[in-house]
This record gives sequence, C-alpha cells and structure tokens, in this order.
Amino acid sequence: MMVNKKQIKELLNESACSQNKDKKSGCDKPKPGATSGGCAFEGAQIALFPYADAVHLVHAPATCQGASWETRATPTSWEGENNVLLGYCTDVTTNDIIFGGHEKLEKSIEYIVEHKNPKAIFIYETCVTAMIGDDIDNIASRMEDKHNIPMVVVHSPGFVGSKNLGSRLGGEAVLNQLIGTREPKEVHPFGINLIGEYNVTGDMWQYTPILEKIGIKVVSTLAGDGRIENIQMAHRAKLNVIVCAKSLITLVRKMEEQYSIPHVSVSFYGKRDTSNAIRSIVNAFGDTELSKKAEEVIKAEEEKLEKRLIPYRKILAGKKAILNTGGNKSWSIASALQDIGIEVVATSIRKATLEDIEIAKQYVPILMKVPANEQAGLIDKYGVDILLAGGRSLYTAIKKKVAFVDVNQEKKVSYGAYGGLENLAIDVCAAVNNKVFKVVGNEAPWGDDK
Amino acid sequence: MKDTLKQTKPLQINPIKLSQPMGALLCFLGIKNCMPLMHGAQGCASFSKVFFTRHFSDPIAVQTTAVNDITAVIDGGDYSISEAIKNITKKVKPDIVGLFTTGMTETKGDDIKGATFLLKDTQKMAYVHTPDFEGGLESGFAKSIEAIIEQIVEEKDEVDNNKALLIPNVNLTPMEVEKIKEQISLFGFETYSLPDLSDSLDGHLGLKQGALTSGGISVDEIKELANCAVVITVGNSVEKSGEILKQKNQKITHFHFDTLGGLEKSDAFYKALMEFKKLDKPHKSIIRWRKRLQDALLDTHFALGGTNAIIATEPDQILSIASTINEAGANIQTIVTPNNSISLETIDCKNIIFGDFENVEENLEKADILISNFHGERLTNKYKKALMLRGYPNYEAVGNQLKNDVLYEGSTYMLFELANIINHYKYGEH
Repeated sequence: MMVNKKQIKELLNESACSQNKDKKSGCDKPKPGATSGGCAFEGAQIALFPYADAVHLVHAPATCQGASWETRATPTSWEGENNVLLGYCTDVTTNDIIFGGHEKLEKSIEYIVEHKNPKAIFIYETCVTAMIGDDIDNIASRMEDKHNIPMVVVHSPGFVGSKNLGSRLGGEAVLNQLIGTREPKEVHPFGINLIGEYNVTGDMWQYTPILEKIGIKVVSTLAGDGRIENIQMAHRAKLNVIVCAKSLITLVRKMEEQYSIPHVSVSFYGKRDTSNAIRSIVNAFGDTELSKKAEEVIKAEEEKLEKRLIPYRKILAGKKAILNTGGNKSWSIASALQDIGIEVVATSIRKATLEDIEIAKQYVPILMKVPANEQAGLIDKYGVDILLAGGRSLYTAIKKKVAFVDVNQEKKVSYGAYGGLENLAIDVCAAVNNKVFKVVGNEAPWGDDK
Repeated sequence: MKDTLKQTKPLQINPIKLSQPMGALLCFLGIKNCMPLMHGAQGCASFSKVFFTRHFSDPIAVQTTAVNDITAVIDGGDYSISEAIKNITKKVKPDIVGLFTTGMTETKGDDIKGATFLLKDTQKMAYVHTPDFEGGLESGFAKSIEAIIEQIVEEKDEVDNNKALLIPNVNLTPMEVEKIKEQISLFGFETYSLPDLSDSLDGHLGLKQGALTSGGISVDEIKELANCAVVITVGNSVEKSGEILKQKNQKITHFHFDTLGGLEKSDAFYKALMEFKKLDKPHKSIIRWRKRLQDALLDTHFALGGTNAIIATEPDQILSIASTINEAGANIQTIVTPNNSISLETIDCKNIIFGDFENVEENLEKADILISNFHGERLTNKYKKALMLRGYPNYEAVGNQLKNDVLYEGSTYMLFELANIINHYKYGEH
C-alpha cells in the first residue's frame, strides 16, 4: 500500500470538493520560495495524533518530530499514558541512510510494544525514509502478526504535498487499515462519527454532552479524544459528521460508497451555527422524536447562553470589527462575533476556498481580497474598534490605536459551541478594555525614529 | 573519550535533540536583510518557523525550496533553488540568501555549491550542508558561521586594533550576545557579532513585520571582518569558526572560551582582554559586578549546596550552567545530552547520558531540580520537582530572548533565580 501517483492524484482531484470545479486541481503544488504552511507529514500528524491510546512513531531524522512534538493542545480523556504529548522518533542517522533504516524501525517497534503496550502503533513514513526505500509496509505487517495489535503505516513523506493532502493520506490509512476491522456489540440507531474534529483546546467537549443529551451517540472520532477500538467500528455508525474540515471529504465519500453512511458538514462556532449544526445532524436521521428533543435542548442551551452573555453584550454593543484570517475561520468566527453583538464590517477571503467565500458572503458585507492593503483604510472609514487577525497585522492595530485579537495564535481556551462563545466574548472584551493598544503606539519623547 | 557515550535504546522518546537545519536557520536570522532558505520539503521550514516563532514570540523570516515528489527525484537541486530565488526576489530584495540543506536534499545529494554559482549574478548567497541525520542544533549553527566566513569574508593583511568580533554559540540568547558585546566594548573595541541575534530576535517592536530579517550584522560588515584584531569564540561548537576566520588574516588573535558562565570562566575572559589591551584594571562596572557575583555565590550557596540537579539542554549550554551552579555547590547529578560533545568532558558528573526525556524521567526521582526546556515541565509536575526553564524551546514563557546567564552580571541573576526556585520548592507549598 505504498503511496503512489494515482492515489495522490485521486486525493487531489476529489470530486466531492467544490474547490475542484473551477480549477485543474484544488491543491496546487507548493511554489519554491513562495510557500508557507506545513507538509503532508504535518497534515497526517494533525489528523491522527489525537489518538492518545496509540503510539505515533515517526520514522525520520531529527527535524520532523524534534521540532513538533508536544505542540498541539488536543486534550484526551484516555486514562492510560497520553501519547498525544509524547514524541516517538527513530532519529534516522547517516548509518541508516547508507545501510537502510528498517532494522532500527523494527527494533523501535519491539521496544515500544515491550515498554508501552499501546492499542496500536501508527508508523509515519517521511521524506528521507521514503527516499532510502525502507519497506515499512513489510515490517509493519510482520510486527502486526507477531504482536497482534494494529500497525498502521501512514505514507506521508512531506514532499508529496501540503498539510491538507497529508490529512487526506492520514484518513486513507485509517480507512484502509482500521475502519471495519472490529464489530460492535450493538448498533446504536443514532450513532455518528465525528470526522475532522481534533478537540483542539477541548472544542469537542463543548458540544458532545449536548448531542448525548439529545440521544445521539458518538461512535468514533477522527481523531479528537479518539480511541482505536472505536474507529475500528466506525463503519457501523449511521452518519458521518464533518466538522469544519474539507481535508477529509474523500474519507467520508468513500465511506458512503463502501458502507452507505451519509454525511453532513457542520461548524460549531457561534450560537447560530451550533444550533444549525445540531439540527443538520438530527434532520439527517429524520426521526420526529429526536428532532423534538433537539429543539428543546437547543432552546434551553441558547437561553442559558444568552443569560451568561449579558455582561459582555453591554461592553460589546455597537462595536465594529474586521476579521483577517484564513479558511473556514473567515466566516465561522465572523458568525460567532455577530452572535455576541459585534458588527463584522469586513472579512478576509485571501486564503479561503471557493466554498468558504460563498458562505462568507452570507455573513459579512465586505470581503477583502488583499487585507494587508485594505484593512487600514476600512478601519478609518467605518470607525472600527477591533481588529482580529494574525500577528503580522499587529502594527496596523497599534498605528490605528484599535484593539487587537490574535486569532491565529495557539489558543488556550475553547471557542467552540455555546460554552466556547462565552470564552470568545471574554477574550474580545479583555482586548477592548485593554489600554495597551493605545499606550504602546505613543510617540517617543524624541519623536518617531524612522 | 565521550565518543563512547551510547544511546540506551533504538529510538528517541521525547527528544531533546534539535536538528542541524534549525541551527542554520537561527544563524541566518542574525544576518541583516537576509532570507534564510531551507532546501527541502515545505514542512522542514514550516515546523522550524513555528518552533522559533513560539519561542521568541516574534515573526521568523524563512522560505523553502518546497521540493516535491517530482523534483525530489529528477532535479539536482538547481531547479527548485533557482525557482525559489526567482519567486523570493519578485517580492523582496534580500542582501543575502542563506541556503541550507535538510536530510532529504542531502539524501538526494544536491549540488548546492553549483546551484549557488549558477545564480551568482542574480542573488548573493551563502550555502551550507546541514542534513538533519547528522549533528544537531549546535553544529548546524556553527557550520553556517563557518560557511559565511569562508564564502563572504574578504582576506586582509592588517588588523584594526580597536575592532573585535564575537562568535557566539547557538545557546546564547539575544540579550547574552548584546551583554558580551558591551563588555568587550568596555575595553575600547568596536564590537561585532557573527551572527548577531541581539539586533534581530531581541523582541523589539519594528515598524513593519517584513518577510526578511529585521536586523543583525550586515553583509558589508561581514565582508570586512578579517581586520578584527581579536575574535572571541564562546562555546566548543564554534571554536573552529575562530580558526577559520584566522585563515583570512593570520594577524588576528583568537581567544576561545568554552563558556562564560560563573566566576572562574568570567575571570578568564576579562583577564584575556586586559592582557591584550595591556590594562591593569577593567572598567569600574566590571569590578562592581564581580563583587556582586561573589556575594551572590555566598548568598545562594545555602540553597544550592548539595542540591541535585539534572541538566538536559544542548552541550555548550550544559557546560555553561554546570560551571556556574557548581561554583555555589550544586551537585550535577545527571546530564542528558542530545549529542556527543567535548564540552561534557570537563564537567564533574558521574552520570552523563546520551539520550532523551525518557532518560531524564528515569533519573528525576533522585534529583531536586531539572534544568531544561519547556518539555521538562510535564515531568517536573508529575514528579513534583523544581524546574528552571532553559534552552530551546520554551513555548510557554515570554521574554526568553532577554534571559542573561553569562559573565559576572548574568551569572549573578541566574544564581538568584535558581536559589529562589529551589527554596520555593523545598519550603513552599506545592
């Protein structure tokens, strides 16, 4: 099951991806000297590392894992050793380049099985180990027979493409090597898989209790707070729920073909979107009782939230904001901001997909194509109070003396669902009330040094 | 001797080790108006950029040649490198591009010297081989300095008696570089640093956050470095860089110091400068700071005396910390190093391990304090041990770039910080 051209091409030309209707390929090759963003290995890492009960062994030299372990805040309720926080690496050295890294890989797997007793081992192929031609599939299959736990090979050398493609490759590995390999004791009538939800800062935990209250069972996740045994039984769920992610659309399409599981695509940012997400899920089941229960729960949750938002609404009433971020955040955060009473004047579509742009249009009047050039002027024109953007825009905020919220920074608290909206309100209020954005840009006693 | 250090297992579990290309990146970040260009798949640059952005809380300039599945096989490097230069220069005008390789492009065996030569009329470049299957952060930084000296510095036959160059090792923070430069300048030198992170990653609010490095030593200044009367290398990893500079002008005097941590090592540094300048006494602030350090050693020896420390950072930093805290009586119970280094040979420690954080964990029970990077925090919380954060990465703390542990002043501050942590750990509620 080596990664090959055909498979990559197929993943890049995903028919279910709207981005592919107008362009030759939705995911172009990265341009030398003009590329930012992670590689395929990082994408696979993001998609699969949240499985805390499996060991994630990266077959690579120092950079791949040395620079990236213990960086993602994806909490788990797994009570065993939390492998999300651990970095396993074969640390390929010159000797391995010359004589092959297979022996080291095999010994590493033996060491892990002996000392860690994981539920599964994911083995990630990276650039160097792909080039030296280590036969990882062969080793994995022998080790799997010997130790009787899944050894999932993820063919994700960085050079095959972007982070997005890597997440797809991670999804392929799970589909081909895990899903359908275990049968549940019983099949729940309202069982769902959460796909593309990584539980960053515990986002998922903001809404899964609500779904359970309605009567929906989360069968498995890919991969937030995920368990290997559960994803092995994912084929017995009744619905796939894609959460804010386009990268795993191939996986759900194939599951639809292989297991006849339909899917819905939802966002859990903001009050309206969370309520709509819940409705999309229950509507897919077409069960009157379930829908009724959902409406009751939504009503109760919304009322509870509105009460909690009262103090923040007072501060945020009449405040205007500009949003400059990428992907689905260009509309999902805009929607959440509107839900706490902020008028979103403009949002950036520079890094959004065609589908995201279509959705963004429904939420925000001005779509900025080149936000770096446009946002300063818009701040003046509309009397904007808050700029929500990445670090590069900080200076614009200081020059204009408006509050700044770094939306790309690693967040510490969840902004997900109803509970997370209160966190967003707290953070935006803190920025609005913070004197720093007015003080720090003051002219020096000796004038501005240019 | 320490070559006999062997890893205890086939893999790394929670690595301390950082890669050569990451060291190279840091070096080029200390060159003014530079675009560091990592020759590999896009992830190498992306991971490293995020890593240092979080450590320094500042934007990091870097680009990638974005080698893909096709160029990985059929290109000898020159295509993706020349494409990268074309795309970079469309947007910005770097004074220099720092080109460095990764494990992947070294496995291919790309001819980066040839690629640089072909582009010599388009863009000034320096190139260096830094595969991540060899060496580590320190060697990547040092190799890049050597490459810059060999490729950029012009030969001279005279020296300027009032011009000095500092060559720091990768562990010295921007503030440490600035402090050492200032101390050298107190002896009447105009002082440069290669590279100079004190002018780029020191955490200053810049007018705009451009794509290139915002400060550092300029290419014109680098060209003229061979007329320095003195070159001072700090750290074993960069000793060779001083020798290579000397090859550009034999009249240069090279002073090498394994570390500038603690009283004795700082004494050696000032003694050398005084002798060179034929002075009986240094500047009065130096005299005062030495007295403060003497006092600090005495004030902190109650807390530090007999304290068992584990140090797990890069080798040159291990030596520096060990030298300082050992003077106040701390016992270096265990050292865990990500790489072999002669830096470790002189340290009085019976348990030196070539390993990772799993090795740290195995030895933590017997220790009082761990001195290591951000990854150590989970362990010290688990085992209820004290922690002093040092080294890369330190994601959670802000102000990392302003830490100063060297010479009389920095050693003083570090000893107090450590003693306070230990006292809090021993007598505080936790």
